[in-house]
Amino acid sequence: MEVVLLRGASGLYLAATVAALTGIAVRRDFPDRLFHWLVGAGLALHVASITIRAVLVGHVPAANFGEGLSLLAALLVTLFLVVQRRGPLIALGAVIMPLAFGLTLAASVLKGGAQPLPPMLRSVWLPVHVLLAFLGDAVFAIACSASVLYLIQERRLKAHRGRGVLRQLPSLERLDQVSHTCLKWGLILLTLGIVTGIVWAHEAWGRGDWVGDPKLLFSLLVWALYTVLLQGRMTAGWRGRWAAQLTIAGFAVIVVSLVSVNLLGLGIHGRAF
Amino acid sequence: MSQSIVLVGLSHHTAPIEVRERVAFADGRLEPALRGLVSRPAVREGVIVSTCNRVEVVACGGDADAVAAELPAFIAQAHGLEGDALAGSVYTRRDREAVRHLFRVASSLDSMVVGEPQILGQLKEQYALAAAIGASGRVLHRCFHKSFSVAKRVRSETGIAEKSVSVASAAVELACDIFDRFDDKTALLIGAGAMGELTARQLLAKGTGTLMVANRTFERAADVAGELGGMAVPFERLGRMLPLADLVVGAAGGDVLIRPGEIEDAMRERRGRPMLLIDLAVPRSIDPAVNQLDGVYLFDIDDLDDVVAENRGSRASEALRAEAIVEAEVEAFWTWLEGLDVVPTIVALRDKVEGIRQREVERHLGALGAVEPRQRDAIERLTRAIVNKILHHPVTALRRHQSERGETFYVEAARSLFRLGGAEPPDDEEEG
Repeated sequence: MEVVLLRGASGLYLAATVAALTGIAVRRDFPDRLFHWLVGAGLALHVASITIRAVLVGHVPAANFGEGLSLLAALLVTLFLVVQRRGPLIALGAVIMPLAFGLTLAASVLKGGAQPLPPMLRSVWLPVHVLLAFLGDAVFAIACSASVLYLIQERRLKAHRGRGVLRQLPSLERLDQVSHTCLKWGLILLTLGIVTGIVWAHEAWGRGDWVGDPKLLFSLLVWALYTVLLQGRMTAGWRGRWAAQLTIAGFAVIVVSLVSVNLLGLGIHGRAF
Repeated sequence: MSQSIVLVGLSHHTAPIEVRERVAFADGRLEPALRGLVSRPAVREGVIVSTCNRVEVVACGGDADAVAAELPAFIAQAHGLEGDALAGSVYTRRDREAVRHLFRVASSLDSMVVGEPQILGQLKEQYALAAAIGASGRVLHRCFHKSFSVAKRVRSETGIAEKSVSVASAAVELACDIFDRFDDKTALLIGAGAMGELTARQLLAKGTGTLMVANRTFERAADVAGELGGMAVPFERLGRMLPLADLVVGAAGGDVLIRPGEIEDAMRERRGRPMLLIDLAVPRSIDPAVNQLDGVYLFDIDDLDDVVAENRGSRASEALRAEAIVEAEVEAFWTWLEGLDVVPTIVALRDKVEGIRQREVERHLGALGAVEPRQRDAIERLTRAIVNKILHHPVTALRRHQSERGETFYVEAARSLFRLGGAEPPDDEEEG
């Protein structure tokens, strides 16, 4: 049942992607309204799917890669709707929704049966750590998407090109703001994610081999990178293209860590995630 | 024909801004240029149209080829260029084509921003100067006044001007691609010309928080600032105002006022907050290299073309209606102009009178009843002789007064008195 719902959500996200792309290219309200309707409906199915799964397995459904991706996608779409409250950003939707579609599609393929939770993961830290970490990743994904749009918009302006099909790209200022705000919140969430992870690991294993866990090292790298970027933004006036490029680079590290750790099964997160 | 209208020029369609600014006629140079133009043997009348998007010379003369041959060289030489320096950019329009072109220009159909209202004012101003010094005569007088009334018709009968998509609003559209909100932004207007003022107005309408106005003469800056609700700043302190400005509108022609070094300093002080610079001036007042700087976006008047190109598409149907109006008016004007030609006037006069004679002869022969061929012949000869005698002097006068200098009074009088085709009331309708 929850897989059907997830596939349904996935389909709606794909449709929302098409609506967003159409919305960018034409100056009509209709695709915009359709887009919001599709995103809302998709998220409703998606949340229902995750809830059912949570009830079935009896814990936050993030114990395997498929579940993790599905949860990440749901958080991403929810955050996107939050960011949208300050005025529509259909162009951002055109980046976020294909991402959500890809994640949910992968999740529905990888889903697999519900496995019993390994004993060492049975802890209150599971939902806390996992939600914080995923929320952080989702926030950075939005920062990265806004930065991609920023680079597109900035290139177009520098080259003095007309809008072409990109009729509804947000202003540079708005994109920079979204990226900046997401960077701040993402960094807070990432910090909390790392701290809770360390506390949990310490509780579970004491001073063990988790210190060299690749996921932890990747996270610390991302943390260092984004801290430098935020510092630069707040004190040295880094912004614009350079800040956007760094934001994208940081997110690339996150993607590499997700893929390498969880698909190749490196370290604690690779084994138990 | 004896009255040929030739238009030679270059515009944003054919020449980049670098070329246009080299051949633009500055205000002070327009008058001597006009005198030089009409002193050329082939040219009877002339008007020069010079805006930041076009330089066009409209001339009238007896020999179209001779006029068309002179004008490109005239434009080049007026700016100290080789006679054929502009060969690639200059277009030549003759007669109907020339009139159509002028009507389209006046109606803003040929503008960079179709439907923008400034061109008509500029045209009127420059025509008035030509009229004041006697460079334009009867033909161009009529032609320009007609173009003003065509522009008025296009404006009122089509929706082409409704959206008021002007260069100014194109600039605002660009600002919206960079800035999200305007209430915390400061705009700096350099120069107090009409175009700059219009752009500043639009930026204020968008909600721009603060406006600073700088001008070479401070009083003028103070006037404009007072009118728009901004503050005037001394021209010499421009460099120190730049860091405060999120939007800079450069509308002061003359020389380059803003260079990359100054903007670099300003950006440092602004801590990288983006700047939009719009250069409306021709010649340009902002060094194009400024656009290379990070976070700095410079658009000159050519670049604005890209922004407005889309607006053009959406207004295509209105433009078609406007073109139809222009077409009809060109025909009407052409009929009038052809009427100025003495030969067709004489032919028309003879035809008209001969027609009357024949009709009357037929009518009255019927009343006479049976008439012998010989008598009928005599009546024909009698009436023809009367007609010829009456027409003799008018026709001779027409031939004689036709033109040493394109004198058209008698031709028009004849057309009007005898109600020949193409005659319109002698008064030109004034534009509003």
